[in-house]
Amino acid sequence: MTGFAQGLLSALLRDTHLITPQLFLIIVATLMLWPGDLFFNRNEKHKWAPITQVILAVTAVLVTVTTDGEGFSRMFRMDGLTRGFQMLCVVATAGTVLLSMRLLDSLKQQTVEYYALILFSLSGMLFLCGASDLISVYFSIELMAICIYILVAYLRDRATSVEAGMKYFLLGAFSSGILVYGISLLYGAAGGVTTNLADLNQALALTPTTSNLLVYAGVLMVLVGMAFKVAAVPFHMWAPDAYEGAPTPITAFMATAPKAAALAAFLRVFGAGFHGVSSDWVLPLSYIAGASMILGNVAAVKQVSMKRLLAYSSIAHVGYMLLGVLSGDPRAGAQAVWLYMLIYIVMNTGAFAVVIYLQGKGESERIEDFKGLGRKHPVLAFAMMIFLLSLAGIPPLVGFFGKFYLFKLAIEQGFVTLTVLALLTSAVSAYYYLGVVNQMYFREPEGETAPMGAGPVFIVTLTCALVLVGTAFGPWLLEWAGRIFWV
Amino acid sequence: MFTANTTLMLVATFLPLLGALVLIFVPKDQRRVFEIGSLLVMIAHLLLSLPFWFGYDRASDAVQWFQAWTWIPALGVKFAVGMDGISLLLWLLTTFIGPIAIACSFKSIEERHKEYYIWMLVLQTAMLGVFITQDMFLFYLFWEVMLVPMYFLIAIWGGPQKLYAAIKLFLYTLAGSVLMLVALLAIYFLQHKTTGSYDFSLASFQAMAPVIAQQSKTYQHLMALAFFIGFAIKVPMFPFHTWLPDAHVQAPTAGSVILAAILLKMGTYGFVRFLLPIMPTATKDLMPWFIGLSLIGIIYGALVAMIQKDMKKLVAYSSVSHLGLCMLGVFALNPYGIKGGLFQMLNHGISTSGLFLVVGIVYERRHTRMIADFGGLSKSMPVYATIFMIMTMSSIGLPLLNGFIGEGIILMGSFQAFPWAAVVATLGIILGAAYMLWMFQRVMFGPISAVNEKMDDLNLREVLYFAPLVVAAFWIGLYPKPIMDVMDAPVRKLVEQVTPGYYAAEALAVKQAIAAKLGMQGMAAPHHGSATSESPNGEQEHPAGHGTAHGEAPATPTHEHPAQGGGN
Repeated sequence: MTGFAQGLLSALLRDTHLITPQLFLIIVATLMLWPGDLFFNRNEKHKWAPITQVILAVTAVLVTVTTDGEGFSRMFRMDGLTRGFQMLCVVATAGTVLLSMRLLDSLKQQTVEYYALILFSLSGMLFLCGASDLISVYFSIELMAICIYILVAYLRDRATSVEAGMKYFLLGAFSSGILVYGISLLYGAAGGVTTNLADLNQALALTPTTSNLLVYAGVLMVLVGMAFKVAAVPFHMWAPDAYEGAPTPITAFMATAPKAAALAAFLRVFGAGFHGVSSDWVLPLSYIAGASMILGNVAAVKQVSMKRLLAYSSIAHVGYMLLGVLSGDPRAGAQAVWLYMLIYIVMNTGAFAVVIYLQGKGESERIEDFKGLGRKHPVLAFAMMIFLLSLAGIPPLVGFFGKFYLFKLAIEQGFVTLTVLALLTSAVSAYYYLGVVNQMYFREPEGETAPMGAGPVFIVTLTCALVLVGTAFGPWLLEWAGRIFWV
Repeated sequence: MFTANTTLMLVATFLPLLGALVLIFVPKDQRRVFEIGSLLVMIAHLLLSLPFWFGYDRASDAVQWFQAWTWIPALGVKFAVGMDGISLLLWLLTTFIGPIAIACSFKSIEERHKEYYIWMLVLQTAMLGVFITQDMFLFYLFWEVMLVPMYFLIAIWGGPQKLYAAIKLFLYTLAGSVLMLVALLAIYFLQHKTTGSYDFSLASFQAMAPVIAQQSKTYQHLMALAFFIGFAIKVPMFPFHTWLPDAHVQAPTAGSVILAAILLKMGTYGFVRFLLPIMPTATKDLMPWFIGLSLIGIIYGALVAMIQKDMKKLVAYSSVSHLGLCMLGVFALNPYGIKGGLFQMLNHGISTSGLFLVVGIVYERRHTRMIADFGGLSKSMPVYATIFMIMTMSSIGLPLLNGFIGEGIILMGSFQAFPWAAVVATLGIILGAAYMLWMFQRVMFGPISAVNEKMDDLNLREVLYFAPLVVAAFWIGLYPKPIMDVMDAPVRKLVEQVTPGYYAAEALAVKQAIAAKLGMQGMAAPHHGSATSESPNGEQEHPAGHGTAHGEAPATPTHEHPAQGGGN
């Protein structure tokens, strides 16, 4: 017995370095709640934001220095893909925290829990990026999602926020059930010996033809469960409401970080785990991707709320990114998705910063509130225009390069119809993005010019600069993406 | 002082963009600085572009001043620039229209001057870029970038329906060009499969023509259609034209001028540069459809123009009709047709932009463009009336003016290829004369109202910006040879690319026709022998040209030849 315990301990010690960033986050976030919170009085809670930024910076460093390897009974795997997507999650979270400062101040809702929950959720995402076993995929998703349920309902005196949280929670729990059920079916179909993705891939190839239906049902259920997490059509119903009701920084958060993590899991589960049974999921996944592009873009056209517009557009962007998951070349697919996600995070954070700025001035997030922004704040409007055009994928902005690499890959892999659909729907997306540009530049402003606060200005300038720099270096981005994380 | 070389070409192309970057730092109340500054930039780049006209080697069909820099090695994208005769003419047309478009905006643009002139300059660089690029990726970038400035020009400084018009233009063009992007990528990967290398250069795409011709018919047709729709929207050809009247009517005068003179030429240029050489077989397969749409465009555009009450809308629909004619020429796929099509692009650029300027003049003075509001203007504005008449005549193709030459050559070319199509096109030209002259008559003659009597004639600035157009119209009409010479070699090359062996077959046919004639006169023996000794050479090349509709006409004598010989 002691031998077993010793073995366990040494295995733990051997593997722990793989999850240093996550351990660090969990420990620090726990310490923040207690005793950290005791050091600040009610009016000093906003100091948690900069502290969180420092923690995130440390996490980023930890992510980069963690060495490659596999551990914990091959439940977690640290490699280029993991590290790349972990960095995306950290960057997106940093953006969210930056966005949160001002808004929570003006709402008088600064608490340590908010930041701690973000960090816990981030640790779940970091696990999810590297999960190489269906079980660890499941528990990482839960760790990530449960924190976000609470964050969505964070403004607990607002009915919309609570409703959004409730909706998200119920549907999320339901979809997790489907996911787990799918995992159990696959476990059974593969002979009841493994849930490890690599082993599962081999085992599924050996399953007798009589259990084909079992495998098919299992794969589909896992697909449904995961499609729910990235809000792909037809499992997107929660998204617009949750996005609209959540505090705006959390909306920005939901649109970026958890999606990056879930897409990493998508790439790993389907690219590595179900590679051998790809005939079971390629067709359903292409339908999901196509439906997401169509519905996301078409539904966005009619929105009056900017947050809902961005919610629907994020559904469409997920549709595009699923093209990378479909790719028969997992490595190239992962690179293209990674790059797209990086670009999307920057553009989206920038766009949300502008929305938050307007909200901070007491205006709501209706598209009409952008009226005359070009006159009132030329710089802000210009930045917003850059974000929107880039989201629409108008060359030569960096968003075009993201799309270009993704679509190029899709055509290379033979998904021509889907790519044509993607391109046509992105032409549709230009319509609603330009609708916002119209409001900003071609409508007369109403109301007085208000001075701009420093927080959103900083992030708007930063993201806009990033988009422009990315534009200048767009042609080389893919090569760099390959070099940074996959050498 | 300056010699034509790649550096100068890039300087001339990017000078407007540079000017725009400088203007960003000028405070926005300095209206004069923007006007004069951008005009000077445009004139400067026009002057810089002139050496290319003189330095162009007319005997060569190669891409001249070619240079390529590695840009995205992983994708095989190069920053490759260069021009052949076809690009050169359109490039020069762009630099020529640039200063005019700026000069006509001084009075009509009343607000937000800074943004306006900056967008105009950015647009100019994007358009020039399209014509010099020799790389498909770069081409796509310039092609799309062009849309954004045009969108803003219409949406900010346009008429009452400007937002609708601007977004319609944007979406139509975007939808077309994304289809084109798919086709580009598909060919790119097909190329990778056959040659093993990734290459976006135009030359490598054109070299793919034989490989594409071996693919399945469905593949070829889908590719050709994707290109076709992308370019046809820009031209615009018949079912894709609906954005054009809206955009023209709502755009400010300078926007209309640029739209008519250059932007529409992008589409026709795309056909000539990309669709024909890359996918000749598929183009020939789909030719009846393309010709049909061109003809519908000619007649439909003319008929709809006839009933317009708004002068600008009338000119806009006349564009649909004229560009249908251009496309008919290009799709004839013989040297006359293509030359005529290209030539008519230049003519349309000169005469239609002139007409839009003419409409802009009365709009600036009366803020209406309705034909019914005018009448008898020739009494109060004699100089204006003269210029209006010259532009009208140039547009309807009166001899001595530019339009006549272009239309004549197109009809020659299309008659060779599709006689019946030439007949229908002639009908369109007659209709064109009818609606233009009718408009001219209603605006210029008849009783004059009190308001119109007070209208000022052209001032010096206006005369100055009309002058180059009038000179160009007369010059091309009287002495078109220099322009023909520039496009001669590239068109020859293009025809060879589309129909390999075309010239050999034609030369052979001529020889045999002469030989047959001589033979019938009873002097057959020596000549006849020489003709037959020629024919095996010709026969080898012949089958390639024979399979097509265009090979047939010149090929006919070959079949008759043995019979005649036997008769002797």
